[in-house]
Amino acid sequence: MEEEGETEEQQRFSYQQRLKAAVHYTVGCLCEEVALDKEMQFSKQTIAAISELTFRQCENFAKDLEMFARHAKRTTINTEDVKLLARRSNSLLKYITDKSEEIAQINVERKAQKKKKSEDGSKNSREPAEAGLGESEN
Amino acid sequence: MADHNPDGDPTPRTLLRRVLDTADPRTPRRPRSARAGAQRALLETASSRRLSGQTKMIAKGRSRGARSIGRSAHVQARGHLEEQTPRTLLKNILLTAPESSILMPESVVKPVPAPQVVQPSRRESSRGSLELQLPELEPSTTLAPGLLAPGRRKQRLRLSMFQQGVDQGLPLSQEPQGNADASSLTSSLNLTFATPLQPQSVQRPGLARRPPARRAVDVGAFLRDLRDTSLAPPNIVLEDTQPFSQPTVGSPNVYHSLPCTPHTGAEDAEQAAGRRTQSSGPGLQNNSPGKPAQFLAGEAEEVDAFALGFLSTSSGVSGEDEVEPLHNGVEEAEKKMEEEGVSVSEMEATGAQGPSRAEEPEGHTQVTEAEGSQGTAEAEGPGASSGDEDASSRAASPESASSTPESLQAGRHHQFPEPAPPPGAAVLSSEPTEPLLVRRPPRPRTTGPRPRQDPHKAGLSHYVKLFSFFAKMPMERKALEMVEKCLDKYFQHLCDDLEVFAAHAGRKTVKPEDLELLMRRQGLVTDQVSLHVLVERHLPLEYRQLLIPCAYSGNSVFPA
Repeated sequence: MEEEGETEEQQRFSYQQRLKAAVHYTVGCLCEEVALDKEMQFSKQTIAAISELTFRQCENFAKDLEMFARHAKRTTINTEDVKLLARRSNSLLKYITDKSEEIAQINVERKAQKKKKSEDGSKNSREPAEAGLGESEN
Repeated sequence: MADHNPDGDPTPRTLLRRVLDTADPRTPRRPRSARAGAQRALLETASSRRLSGQTKMIAKGRSRGARSIGRSAHVQARGHLEEQTPRTLLKNILLTAPESSILMPESVVKPVPAPQVVQPSRRESSRGSLELQLPELEPSTTLAPGLLAPGRRKQRLRLSMFQQGVDQGLPLSQEPQGNADASSLTSSLNLTFATPLQPQSVQRPGLARRPPARRAVDVGAFLRDLRDTSLAPPNIVLEDTQPFSQPTVGSPNVYHSLPCTPHTGAEDAEQAAGRRTQSSGPGLQNNSPGKPAQFLAGEAEEVDAFALGFLSTSSGVSGEDEVEPLHNGVEEAEKKMEEEGVSVSEMEATGAQGPSRAEEPEGHTQVTEAEGSQGTAEAEGPGASSGDEDASSRAASPESASSTPESLQAGRHHQFPEPAPPPGAAVLSSEPTEPLLVRRPPRPRTTGPRPRQDPHKAGLSHYVKLFSFFAKMPMERKALEMVEKCLDKYFQHLCDDLEVFAAHAGRKTVKPEDLELLMRRQGLVTDQVSLHVLVERHLPLEYRQLLIPCAYSGNSVFPA
């Protein structure tokens, strides 16, 4: 039992390390881009610090999101929760709101398409049109 | 005990033995037996009333005779306090109790037999005044071996103790702990005497520290404010009645009031106040420093006037200490940020001056001046001011809002090039007085906002006083101001969050669940420490009853 727990721990730990490595790699790429843009170099320690910070902040975000969802008596994390999380930073909040609206619009359009399809589907004559529509839409 | 008794007079000893039959043999006493013999002799000689049938008497005689011994014995008894038999307790009580009694001039019987160990007086002296007093009262030493009936002793003790207490003030404070324990065990009455009477009132020098600094200039400032308020009462009223008053409605008034304001010298103060209020107000309900609150109202008007369509809410908000304005959430926050930025820039310009004046009209002119002077810098003003005011959290919002303030500022510049100079002169004149007023507590200059602003500013000043008290060292005024600003921002954020959480749950009322979520984010509430635990730890009982569901009779649960 203990061994299983240990191996589980180890697995989790190694998994965590892999995640951290992935974050570190991504942060490194981003920093390189910024360095090229601003013509300023990033030291390795900086990149490591940023990636560690990002990783921990992601953990905090996840916990907060879960708390927010639970606070709203839901079991699924919603875009509302994400917006609540980003409310501190106005620009970020604006960006997220726009994106969410975009996504909502896309969803609405898809629903409309589906409705149309279903309606057309009932009418056999329109099947080819639907197919055409579906293809064009998608 | 019994071992030691037989040496001297058989009668008292036998009595003692009878009384103390249950007394446990105390080692310390044994060695005393040798001395006890001598003491007993004394007792016999001294005590005239023995065996009157009252062990009490005997004890008294004995006590008189060998008081010192008794004391030492008592000391011993005390040393054995751990045994905690009724007898020992009584002994201790007797030891600690003042010797004098109404019945007998001598002190009440000393407990314990004390075969009396003649203890070196060190204990006696340490024992305390009680023991020592006896000799004063009655030089004769008496053995106090006989244990009188406990009740009697207690009664005597009480009387004697009371007498002694009355006569000697606080002699009992020196009683050894053992006696105190014994007395506590035996009689609560005795306790009062046995324990040190000195209440040891904690003199907190800090409490008397820092009386609120009141400036004599207040009157002048107040009059000025009154003058100013008289100019802009309609605006204030407007703000009061309509928290979200439309900017267009307010702007005309502002414009009207603006020309009038420049003349007042309190402009600077207003500016400063406005800045404060704006910086603090934008947030929301907490216009902590009175000045800011007032200022906010003034500033708000200004902003509205210039902003045209800008946040009247901000002004309204500033005017109101309620959270109402926050309903709009982000929008309001942004607006407030703008206001804040404006006000902040102003503040920067005038550099934190007399806050007490928050007259709107004057503030407006001042604000405009400040803005004009700052120029584009004001665009960054919100950011800079926020930074300056430790409002780093607001940096983001000011940035977004900076665009609007810039436009506003440009407009302002245009609008107030002329009024600027005259107010400037006035400002300069008023500046010297303003620094004096900087530390003022809220001044209800405006009739309208007054009721709203005062409580908030008063609330924050209370926290600042607490802070300065706990700091245990003198603090600069500026430091305290910064503390006030930080507190203001903190509370603004807090209430912002609470409002948002409540809205997130689809509610319009903030409930304890929202607060719990906030505290969880703060790290105060964890999986190990729940909100109820914190409530129990820190809140008084009344709040606990209101917050924690408790089951009562009749199948009812309150408050849930």
